[in-house]
Amino acid sequence: MAGGSAISGLVGARVHRKEDRTILTGTGRYVDDVQARGMLHAHFLRSTVAHGRITSIDVDEARKVEGVVRVFTGADMSAITEDLSFAQPIPGLHSPSYPAIAHDVVRFVGEPVALIIAESRYIAEDAAGLIEIDYDILDPIMSTTAGLADGATELFGDVPGNVVHTDEQLFGDIEAAFSQADHVVEQSLDQHRWACNPMETRGGVATYETGSGQLVYEASTQTTHTLRFLLAGWIRQPIHQFRVTANNIGGGFGLKFSAYREDVAVCAAAKAVGGAVKWVEDRNEHLVAAGAAREEQLTLQAAVKADGTLLGLRVTMKLDAGAYPINPPATVYAGLVRTTLPGPYKLPAYHFQHHIVATNKASYISLRGPWAVETLVRERLMDKIAETCGISPVEVRTRNLITLDDQPTKMITNVTLENVTAAETFQKLVEMVDLDEVRRQQEAARAEGRLLGFGVGTFIEPAPGTQEFWAAVGFPFGSEPCRIRIEIDGKVTAFTPQTPHGQSHETTLSQLIADELGVGFDDIRIVYGDTDATPFSMLGTGGSRAATMASGAAVYGARELRKRVLEIASHMLEASVEDLQIADGVVSVKGAPGASVPMGQIAMGCWLAPDQMPPGTNTEMEFVADYDGEGGGFSQASHACWVEVDQQTGKIEVQRFLVVEDCGKMINPAVVEGQVIGGIAMGVGGMLLEHSAYAEDGQYLTATFMDYLMPSAPELPEIEIEHMEFETDKVVGSRGVGEGGTVLAPAALLNAIDDALAQVGRPRITETPITPTRMLELLGVIEKE
Amino acid sequence: MNTREITVTVNGRKRTVNVEVRRTLADFLREDLGLTATHLGCEHGVCGACTVIVDGHTERSCTQLAVQADGREITTVEGLATGDGELHPVQQALRDNHSFQCGFCTPGFVMTIYGMCEDKKAGRPVPCSRTEIREELSGNICRCTGYQSIVDGTEAALAGTAGKES
Repeated sequence: MAGGSAISGLVGARVHRKEDRTILTGTGRYVDDVQARGMLHAHFLRSTVAHGRITSIDVDEARKVEGVVRVFTGADMSAITEDLSFAQPIPGLHSPSYPAIAHDVVRFVGEPVALIIAESRYIAEDAAGLIEIDYDILDPIMSTTAGLADGATELFGDVPGNVVHTDEQLFGDIEAAFSQADHVVEQSLDQHRWACNPMETRGGVATYETGSGQLVYEASTQTTHTLRFLLAGWIRQPIHQFRVTANNIGGGFGLKFSAYREDVAVCAAAKAVGGAVKWVEDRNEHLVAAGAAREEQLTLQAAVKADGTLLGLRVTMKLDAGAYPINPPATVYAGLVRTTLPGPYKLPAYHFQHHIVATNKASYISLRGPWAVETLVRERLMDKIAETCGISPVEVRTRNLITLDDQPTKMITNVTLENVTAAETFQKLVEMVDLDEVRRQQEAARAEGRLLGFGVGTFIEPAPGTQEFWAAVGFPFGSEPCRIRIEIDGKVTAFTPQTPHGQSHETTLSQLIADELGVGFDDIRIVYGDTDATPFSMLGTGGSRAATMASGAAVYGARELRKRVLEIASHMLEASVEDLQIADGVVSVKGAPGASVPMGQIAMGCWLAPDQMPPGTNTEMEFVADYDGEGGGFSQASHACWVEVDQQTGKIEVQRFLVVEDCGKMINPAVVEGQVIGGIAMGVGGMLLEHSAYAEDGQYLTATFMDYLMPSAPELPEIEIEHMEFETDKVVGSRGVGEGGTVLAPAALLNAIDDALAQVGRPRITETPITPTRMLELLGVIEKE
Repeated sequence: MNTREITVTVNGRKRTVNVEVRRTLADFLREDLGLTATHLGCEHGVCGACTVIVDGHTERSCTQLAVQADGREITTVEGLATGDGELHPVQQALRDNHSFQCGFCTPGFVMTIYGMCEDKKAGRPVPCSRTEIREELSGNICRCTGYQSIVDGTEAALAGTAGKES
């Protein structure tokens, strides 16, 4: 059965969100909303130097402040915790372990050097101001180039040459490809650091019950179970005595996938003081210390035929990992970029090499589509190939794209593509845009002294990806469980390991279960964010998995319970299962509405008097389904972007943005559109405004929202979306759509800006962000600094 | 600790509280009065998550002190919806349009848009076009939505066309 749902009703509809009453009335429970009797407050003092050896730390005056309960130096904290280690048995990976609070060497501005526990945050910050630290300053490594240089200072004893990991992989006959090439097209991009910046920063409340020895950590996290098993060892807490919960979460975008040293310190502090400790990072700390993403330099060489056909591709990537590793290991990012980069194009030969380099910056972290640079550089390369071969950006893609007719086929990176419609979304996009008209408008604008640019791009998104895909990346592709229960009154509770933070899973999973089970949308509750209640999954909410994986688990769970209910009802109503239906929580015989039994009556019998239920029936009204993903799959989309460049000020205005997306069967189009538009906004902001910038001496420069510019409403265009819903014969035909906007939008946007530059005879972009200053440099109006 | 007694009316309820003079209005609302709907996203007056109405003006609560609110009247998100579960028309309009996702910035936007609707009621100028609405919303940052759905919701709130529960 195509598309996934037994009774078509709520699935596919713009159902109002379950989450909205809570968030619109402000009655949610975000971490900072937690108030417990006697709760103490944590504040971290952070390093002011990028690289240095701590020669002395004096916390005596801080300890004397009235209201200060404890001050932990690095040594104090290391006495009660293990060092954090994200090491994995990956050949060649140098993953240094590190303490929760630095006690020897500091390696970035913002690294925790002391933790103050006090009766209020105000007092904790007062005390922090009284701590005296001396450092011996060491040379900071502030770029991959500096880190790789001969004789460069080594950040860690166990990361030789500052190389966290390096590898190269060859697919196909690359030498033959280049020997047959009519053109070799080269391109490079130096992408800047930018950040997740969820509106709620990191934080958690750790509560230790001294009597029972139980620890509860209520965290702002994307993954309760992983946070629990990572932290348990580091804080020496028996895992069966450790519960991690999450309630409302104010955004994550990949940041809240890892466990952080602050989590370790706060949990350990709660154990040490025997009570509740709250830590909520402020925005300044967040910008400085939480980590940032996307700092990668890539160079590409493409072997192409005169008609623009791709023959081979050589890629080198340098990734600026910052100082300390987090979860997942950096090799996963490199593996994702390598595996995904060929995208939906025919590519006969491919060579990929990467160097992951440790520097004196905050950690390189996941950000919404962590592999996104592959799409950015590939789509920009396609435009350069078009220019070299004298064909249009449309033509170059059409000639190289893998269409549905070509599938199943294998990517050069050994990933089978099946049911992938990137080419079809691109075809649709092209039909919706009159390229000749775009060129006429640009010409007319130039005559008036105005400069317009137009760009396109297309891609595939591993959402959730396939077994083969994740094997190629080097990361497991786990199945997804859902525990589902028909309660004693026939209402339904479902427990998911997802940890939604804006993705609307309470709504979408309820839609699916309502349709499958024939119960009311409001008669379903989704429970998430509690390791005591939800089944285990390593991933929580991330990787755009939920649309397929969490949906599948809910659907299969609901189907199993439906089967049990119908078998019992068939005895009670003396009708065959095939003749029964469930609507609004009542089982009835089709065509004989009088013959019916409420699901609540069946459930009550099952829970209270299972012995009296029809013999041979399964009376367990709770079931844990485990969904394997049916082989998984990809989402896909194509974008078109129109910009106007102000040649006096360098301002770039995104005038129009068109999306054709295909995430399979949409569960709730309003949710899909929200994800797509929000993702694009983040991609546009990342390219034009946002920058986690460092000075050469390692000082962090953009530590407030007046320096780190987040996109606000006027900077963003109205985004037009055309949906395609390619359906397969799989039970769950929905694919993830959370990350794609952020992955593809930068490519379409930069292509549009390059298109504008080309019209005035200026060279292409080679580094980001494209701030007004950089745009004026690109236009030749001002000299590059 | 340097404290001062202040009297404020919050969501129609008069409160007299002894407050530390350095305490921000936002911390006072959240910590002392337990009104945690007002969120803190940056604490330096940019993100707008802490927006409240003070004496009829839409203001940041993170960049003013509680003592400055002495004698004034404050409305927070807690003051909009009635106790019986009925959403305020502004909230309903935003719900109808799937305006928000994670909900952290939401109370600030709700209060900004509520402020616009109050301006409209009082005959003061309000934004008309979507472009003007975007300008008017530029003091609030949302990381999830890309704002389009919030503009939709604002249009509906200003038009007073909030639908019934579906």
